[in-house]
Amino acid sequence: MPQQTTPCPECGTLNRKGNATCRLCDALLKPAGSVDKPRIRKKILRRTDFIAASRANQTATRRLITLLLAIAAVLGYLAGWSLQVGTGHRPLSADSIFFFSSWGMLASFILLALSLLWTWFAFKRGDRIVMKITGAQLADRQHEAQLYNVVDEMAIAAGISTPSVYIIETEAMNAFATGMSPTTASLAVTRGLLNKLNREELQAVIGHEMGHVVNWDIRYATAVSVLVGLIVLLSDGFLRGSLYGGGLGRGRGGHKTDNSATAILFIVMLVFAILAPLIARLVQMAVSRQREFLADATSVRLTRNTYAMISALEKLSQETVLFDRANRATQHLFIVNPLRNFSEKASSLMATHPPITRRIQRLYNLGDKDY
Amino acid sequence: MEIGSWIGIGIIVALIIWIIGIFNNLVSLRNQVKNAWRQIDVQLKRRHDLIPNLVEVVKDYMSYEQETLEKVIQARNGAVNAHNPEEAIAAEGILTGALGKLFALMENYPDLKANENVSRLMEELSGTENKIAFARQFYNDSVMALNNAVESFPSNIVANIFSFKHATYFEVPEAETATPAVNLR
Repeated sequence: MPQQTTPCPECGTLNRKGNATCRLCDALLKPAGSVDKPRIRKKILRRTDFIAASRANQTATRRLITLLLAIAAVLGYLAGWSLQVGTGHRPLSADSIFFFSSWGMLASFILLALSLLWTWFAFKRGDRIVMKITGAQLADRQHEAQLYNVVDEMAIAAGISTPSVYIIETEAMNAFATGMSPTTASLAVTRGLLNKLNREELQAVIGHEMGHVVNWDIRYATAVSVLVGLIVLLSDGFLRGSLYGGGLGRGRGGHKTDNSATAILFIVMLVFAILAPLIARLVQMAVSRQREFLADATSVRLTRNTYAMISALEKLSQETVLFDRANRATQHLFIVNPLRNFSEKASSLMATHPPITRRIQRLYNLGDKDY
Repeated sequence: MEIGSWIGIGIIVALIIWIIGIFNNLVSLRNQVKNAWRQIDVQLKRRHDLIPNLVEVVKDYMSYEQETLEKVIQARNGAVNAHNPEEAIAAEGILTGALGKLFALMENYPDLKANENVSRLMEELSGTENKIAFARQFYNDSVMALNNAVESFPSNIVANIFSFKHATYFEVPEAETATPAVNLR
């Protein structure tokens, strides 16, 4: 049976019947009567008011990071638990094997502490490494007066000190920001971007990067990727261990009576070890997509010029030269994803950036208010 | 001691910490407003420094526009010599108008636009004009943040106790809001 669809009144996208808002442009599909529901009212608010939009974004990020922390903690707990059972140590009593494990608690605490430490280290080193990988050169103030002026203007509008400015000598169009706090930020633009955008569009792009800086996105991204890395590492280690060792749970236990219990534990661990890295990656990408919308909105708040941001994004989406010095580790930093063809398949769950059409659609919604 | 009194002490300590938090937030907002105001001054100073250079370079090319150049210099001196904020705002308004007219006239001189010195100065000045605008915008944003904190509950109680005041917005001078008269002859 074909699925019933309703076309969106604003952009014409077909939506599943029963949806309250359009999946492409967030426009209202239902007649005005159903507007009373608080959830839908919240949605309407989010598409009309960019202060509300950025607040909703912040909440979404916080939820996603809590989810990641929970996954890491549970994974650590399970690992410690199975290690305790597997090496023949018993928890407090035989019955409590499924309820409480002191090693599990310890392991999850160690994991959280480790992720904090690692994050701190990434904060100290991260930005210089990124600049080196992408081949960015410090821009010369004499020759790049306009670029420096635009960066100064946006820094003033955001109320932070001027970041260091780098240029990447490539015809591809892209830009990114890095640095762990608003006082030590740096941002880089490609030569192609400088050549092909006019002053206002350049300002919008720099505003977007400044948005990443003032919203502490780089910190979010670093913290999230460290967490995801830990989760992947741990699950991987566990899967390997269980493959070669024939399962931690059945190793040298010797308590024949507990066999069924340890088998169940082993299966739980296995399922979790397979699912955790997947979920963690999905969360990472979702955080990244949310922050892109937020940075677009911040750019508009700084420049008070929605249409420059829109036309800059349109030019970026038509760009055909690809930037070849980006990789999977740095792709989430850029203003448009350097690895992907952003018009197709970009809405998939694994994308670091929302599709450009959707970003532009949201900007049009912001532009309805007269800023 | 009884449990009740411990709970009482706990609540009081939490309340004090909470009030300190609000107070510190208000202080940082007030300092941000002050800093934003200084930032406008910095940019205005930069504009005053750049104008004599520009006039010096363009006056050879624009010998027919002596009157306009004269007006720009006068407006600039008026702005530099302003004694109080009201005077300064008015003088800066006049200066903005005079500069706008000069920029428009310069479009008529292709040689002038080709001159590297001039184009560099033009970028400097138009950058400075933008910075002034963005500095004002940031000032007004900061004022809004402070006023929101001073007016909204519960921070308004703390603001009242420690007499935090509203800040005033930067109003655009009348000369700048009036539509410019364009004479195409």
